[in-house]
Amino acid sequence: MSETSIVVDDLTFRYPGSDDPVLRDASVTIEPGEFTAVVGGNGSGKTTLCKTFNGLIPQFFEGRFDGRVTVAGTDTRESDVAELSRHVGYVFQDFENQLVQSTVREDVEFAPLNHGLDDYAERATRALETVGLADLDDRFIWELSGGQQHLVALASVLAMDPEFVVVDEPAAQLDPHNARKTYEQLRWLHEAHDKTVVVIEHHSEFVADYCDDMVLVSEGGVAWKAPVEEGLNRLDDLLAHDIHPPQVTGIADDLPAGSGTTPDGRYPVTVDEAAATFPAPTAGRGRPRTAADGGRGDSRTAADGGADAVRSPPGGCGEPLVELTNVEHGYPTLREGYNRVLDGLDLTFCAGERVALVGANGAGKSTLLRLITGLESPDGGTVSVLGRDTSETLPEELADDTVYIHQNPEEMFVEDTVRKDVAYYLESRGADDVDDRVDEILDHLDLENLADRDGRLLSLGQQRRASLGIGLATDPTIVLLDEPTGSLDLQSRREVTRMLGKAESRVETVLVASHDLQLVASWADRVIVMGESGVLADAPPAAVFDDPELLAGTGLRPPQVVELSDRLDVDPPALTADAMVDALTEGSS
Amino acid sequence: MTYLDELTEISVADVKVDLLRTAYDNDRALLNTFDPRVVLLWSVLFVIVPWLFYDTLPLAVMLAAAFVLAALSQVSKYLLALLLFGQVTNVGFFVVMVPLVGGLLRAGGYLAANAGAVVDSLVALDPAVFAESLSIVATAASRGVTTALTSQEVGIDAVGAVVPFFLKLTIISVISLAVFSAMSPQKISQGMLRLGVPRQLTFAIAYGYRMMPLLVEEYHDLVNSFRLRSKVPDEKGLLRWRYYAYLLTLSVKAFYPLIFNVAKRARVTVEAMETKGFSHSLGDPKSRELRTDGMMVRTRDVSFVFGSLLFVAALWVFL
Repeated sequence: MSETSIVVDDLTFRYPGSDDPVLRDASVTIEPGEFTAVVGGNGSGKTTLCKTFNGLIPQFFEGRFDGRVTVAGTDTRESDVAELSRHVGYVFQDFENQLVQSTVREDVEFAPLNHGLDDYAERATRALETVGLADLDDRFIWELSGGQQHLVALASVLAMDPEFVVVDEPAAQLDPHNARKTYEQLRWLHEAHDKTVVVIEHHSEFVADYCDDMVLVSEGGVAWKAPVEEGLNRLDDLLAHDIHPPQVTGIADDLPAGSGTTPDGRYPVTVDEAAATFPAPTAGRGRPRTAADGGRGDSRTAADGGADAVRSPPGGCGEPLVELTNVEHGYPTLREGYNRVLDGLDLTFCAGERVALVGANGAGKSTLLRLITGLESPDGGTVSVLGRDTSETLPEELADDTVYIHQNPEEMFVEDTVRKDVAYYLESRGADDVDDRVDEILDHLDLENLADRDGRLLSLGQQRRASLGIGLATDPTIVLLDEPTGSLDLQSRREVTRMLGKAESRVETVLVASHDLQLVASWADRVIVMGESGVLADAPPAAVFDDPELLAGTGLRPPQVVELSDRLDVDPPALTADAMVDALTEGSS
Repeated sequence: MTYLDELTEISVADVKVDLLRTAYDNDRALLNTFDPRVVLLWSVLFVIVPWLFYDTLPLAVMLAAAFVLAALSQVSKYLLALLLFGQVTNVGFFVVMVPLVGGLLRAGGYLAANAGAVVDSLVALDPAVFAESLSIVATAASRGVTTALTSQEVGIDAVGAVVPFFLKLTIISVISLAVFSAMSPQKISQGMLRLGVPRQLTFAIAYGYRMMPLLVEEYHDLVNSFRLRSKVPDEKGLLRWRYYAYLLTLSVKAFYPLIFNVAKRARVTVEAMETKGFSHSLGDPKSRELRTDGMMVRTRDVSFVFGSLLFVAALWVFL
């Protein structure tokens, strides 16, 4: 069997200059034909483990290496990275920086050319056709969207025709729609091209939908390897490593014993399984609000003193905080001339609203947020923020009351420590007691341990938290968040929801542009769906999630509870796991 | 203010696209259709040629030809405008500077000649002599101003002397702009590789092309980040100079985080380069051969070089 497998045998590895090993006595075997997920908490050593497969460890990172890794019978210490990469392709988490040539075709040809392979052009063509990018082969890398760039990185790996493909956290840097497309692509590679696929993944719903086996990495060792259905049922193990089980599995666990288990006595891990397993809710129950508001009714009332009753329909409230009138805006592009993103947009945002902007990429969500910051003035129409016309006010002045949190937290770090970054706004405005306020915020978001580190060197989740801290320090009236859970990392989703909750006492309105419908379902009270032709819907979440066609048109996928509601005829749809549990148990009790 | 902001806002996006077009939209550029080696050698040749001419007329014709080439190569109008602005102000500077220095010398000379009287009055502190010395200073100033105002001709003469020099510099700049904006990075690297330039360098050029738009975008984001967290000066000052000084400071500050971010990107890039077999390829003649395959000097390449040489020869003979 070890003729064609990757075998990690009792491996311990220390990075140079570090006393603690990153990997401790790790042993695992990846057999040909597997589709395996490597899961584990932050810093558990998942990535390090996978970098031993292609020899980057120990050939490139020369630490202390005890044990043995063999790829198709070759000891990785006796080969080199380039040679091993012909068998094990690796798509990095930070795939954008893996692309080193200027056009798509050049990048895909790069590795075969380096190896001096005569058929480099055919290899590139084949790889590009495999990932469906054949018609984009003369495009410049920087013209492509994130999803397309990920596919180019994958094609570059496939050009060498490796037996194993390792993909590091595809869902972390891609939006859910593109992450799913990437997984579809990987499934196809696995089924039609007999590739062995290994993904490092944090998001259990993808693991459940696409993978066959899973490996749990814990504190540098391999805790276990098991089939996915079995692995995802070890809820205590998963939660101990900060991995959230799929929503349906969590619901099954909360249901009364026995009512949510499959015939073979385990919890379902996919929506399909759940729909076949869960008891049907009693038909025709009159539950007009519990389903829609369950699980968040409390915080809602606390947040704005029960102002729910006076909430006016969109478009009319006493004192609009932000008003967009007939706004037109667009950008010049290299190939297609002027690209109009917003056309005749009218929107009003009032105090106390929690607004979610959803829509496909390019629908203008980020553009809308940038217009409100005043960094860009609309090409036509007016944007007014707290009564000030943004075309006549400098962004610095608007920033007195609004804060914009960039979707890429890295762009928010301008100083060399997190503490200085948080203090920057206060100091530039000569605020009193800067130190006290900074301490308060660092404490608030559990950033004390990271305060003296460089923001750029933190993990993505930590960066996100720090960028929220930078935002909160400005004590804003209006908060604009661009893809706060962009990475689908559940921990950061929790942080964001928590931060939003904590901030609400001081903040009047929060606008979140997001692909993450689970966040939208559990947090927002007004959802604006944006499409190419403008605003497609502007309604409370329950109404938006009740309209599957609307969401399908934007390429967004509803959270599992909503999908499950549809399958089980829970109407109105449950928006949170708790609401679903209520709906299902009410029927049986 | 609205007007100014619109000017800055719109043009940032427009300038970005225009520069991108200069660097990346090479499909229709004339120079990109020739063999890269020929174009590289040709450009080296034409960096030297202007220095063989001393008269304004042939240089001006050559400059016109260089502009035609730049237009065919789709060089950014903003870049050309910036270049022209630089050269014109340089020349204009001489028109102003020469009479000004003349005036200053004149006034200074008069003052020096009467220095004794001025010093006396200052020592004596006598109001009467004080008045006299004031009048000396006034005369000096007025003579200086008169000289400055009446000696434009001298200034223009001076310009006449420097114009050919600036013309040569402009020709070289325009030609280099045309060459580097017209040729695709792949062609440049291919040509250089064949001419014996080490592959590390040709790779760096291609990689630079790959990263540049990204860095521009990131830099813009960082400047915006700074803006949203800074405070504009309360007093904008005459012609808002304080405001512009503030923007200038920010745009310099934004380079620091940019450099750190680039360094961070490089960490992944070097690992990826290893997996793609880059270091493996450095000593591999087969890889080099495949990369430079398919280059060919054809008749049109040769006629391009001879055509331009004939053009220069014609200038030499007839003008």
